[in-house]
Amino acid sequence: MKLLYRAAFQWQSRAVLGRHLTVYRRNWHTAALPPIFEPIILLLAFGVGLGGFIPDFTWRGQSVSYLAYLAPGMLAYTAFMTAFFQALFAAYIRMHYQKTWEGQLITQARLEHVVWGEVLWAATLGTIYAFIVTLVLAGFSVAGWLQLNWIGALLVLPLLFLAALGFATLGLLFTALVPSIDHMNIPFFLVILPLGFASSTYFPLEGDSFWIQAWLTLNPLHHLAEGIRFLLLTGELNLHFAAACGLFLLMIVILIPIDERLLRRRVLGEG
Amino acid sequence: MSIPTIDPVSRAFPVLQADDLVKNFAGRCVVDGVSLHCQAGQVLGLLGANGAGKTTTLRLCYGFLQPDGGTIQIAGIDRSVDPEAAARQVGVCTQDDTFDTDFTVRGNLEQMSRYFRPSPSNLKERIAALMKRFGLDRYEKAKPETLSGGYRRRLMLARALVHEPRLLFLDEPTTGLDPQARMEVWELVNTLRNDGLAIVLTTHYMDEAERLSDDLLVLQEGRMVAAGRPRTVLGDLVGEHMLVLEAGDPAIPAVCDWARQAGLPEPSRVLSTLHLALDGPGLAQFSARFGELRFEVRPPTLDDLFLKLAEKP
Repeated sequence: MKLLYRAAFQWQSRAVLGRHLTVYRRNWHTAALPPIFEPIILLLAFGVGLGGFIPDFTWRGQSVSYLAYLAPGMLAYTAFMTAFFQALFAAYIRMHYQKTWEGQLITQARLEHVVWGEVLWAATLGTIYAFIVTLVLAGFSVAGWLQLNWIGALLVLPLLFLAALGFATLGLLFTALVPSIDHMNIPFFLVILPLGFASSTYFPLEGDSFWIQAWLTLNPLHHLAEGIRFLLLTGELNLHFAAACGLFLLMIVILIPIDERLLRRRVLGEG
Repeated sequence: MSIPTIDPVSRAFPVLQADDLVKNFAGRCVVDGVSLHCQAGQVLGLLGANGAGKTTTLRLCYGFLQPDGGTIQIAGIDRSVDPEAAARQVGVCTQDDTFDTDFTVRGNLEQMSRYFRPSPSNLKERIAALMKRFGLDRYEKAKPETLSGGYRRRLMLARALVHEPRLLFLDEPTTGLDPQARMEVWELVNTLRNDGLAIVLTTHYMDEAERLSDDLLVLQEGRMVAAGRPRTVLGDLVGEHMLVLEAGDPAIPAVCDWARQAGLPEPSRVLSTLHLALDGPGLAQFSARFGELRFEVRPPTLDDLFLKLAEKP
């Protein structure tokens, strides 16, 4: 088991990560369009447009603009969505259609390196996209539409990387499980939509019922969104930040061996 | 570019020494006690019908799969002790095209080299030399999927050699190629053998196995059924002579009865002919008994072996 985690730091995992970075660098001008335009459109449509109809928006008893509430949620959602999709769709295509994995597995790289390479790449891309969203938010700040605590933002990017790592391990789990690309709808409707929206990203989720409390307590995306929100709106580090770190570490520790075992069965027919 | 010259002493040592390999999938034994040895400058052909365990044996040797039993040494390195160092000595040309479609021809060679450490010396020059040797230099900036089947195979071979391995695995290297492209691949394999590379190949083409292999290893249902020089293997498994008879000849039932009584296997039917394998004394007895029949005698070929292996044991 120790060897599996150690593989994250071995040169073969970096070689796999480097391969993905090389391909991305070549296509960066088209690949960078979604993370630039998506937040601009969403911030304008929801933050400025819809937010204009919500004059008395409150978060934890404080009066904030809906745009200010939305901005940290979008950062969390971007890291989640990008890492999950990269580890699901893109990794599946490389594994199944492009045979990239097979080409890597006939070298000094082993399956654990390919798995870590995919997870690290998905997390890197999630962080890059979140960073681009941060730049867009900075643009909104300069325009005077948004007031955020930019010192707190320095802590946000490492947290987003850890979060993206956790979500990538979850995405890779479905890559190992889905029978074919046609079944990708299942994780989309079972995981992405419920988790993406019911996690204090686009609206506050509150309630005293046991189920809502349980969902919020165990939901890493909720803690991520709230942790970032506290940092960016108040400059405070709070329990959500710590809970997010703990839950993402737990996800990585638990899911990596499961991913590796399931993928060993799927790719190599072993186990 | 050339593969480093291998001295005569090193040539005598097996670059690949795999013994008693066992592999089970879902409780079914697909490789059962297979051993294979290959020296520098030697081509070892793995033969067998579909499902005989050829590709699995190859995958065990190059580390794609882990054996459930047995030992594998590559250039003296025990794969179970130091898999990374063992993998550094190995180049693999898989049955399917596994080049990276996100890279150009040159990019594929560059990227492949990044999966090996230590990196080969003079990498730029080596890549240029490989592209020239395999006729890929004019397609340097092309995407691999735009190449013809023959050039795709050349790219797969060049990729397998970019890190200067000592042992090359070729899994059905010419499947799906036209005759000219096949011959070109044969030529390349032959030059690599002359350069001193140890080569293990699987193939369905009997002419390919016969022309390229110094030694053969024949597998049937995961077990070795014969090993050695092609002629020896044929003699052991098929027989010294192959009799070809007209299947429509009225004397055929009598021939079948005679074969049965002599304890020979049933003659196999190939289109309008019957094939019967015989040793020297058997041929003499047959001639004495059926001297009036029209028949042809020829040496056995690997096609005969393949047909024999395809029969249920």
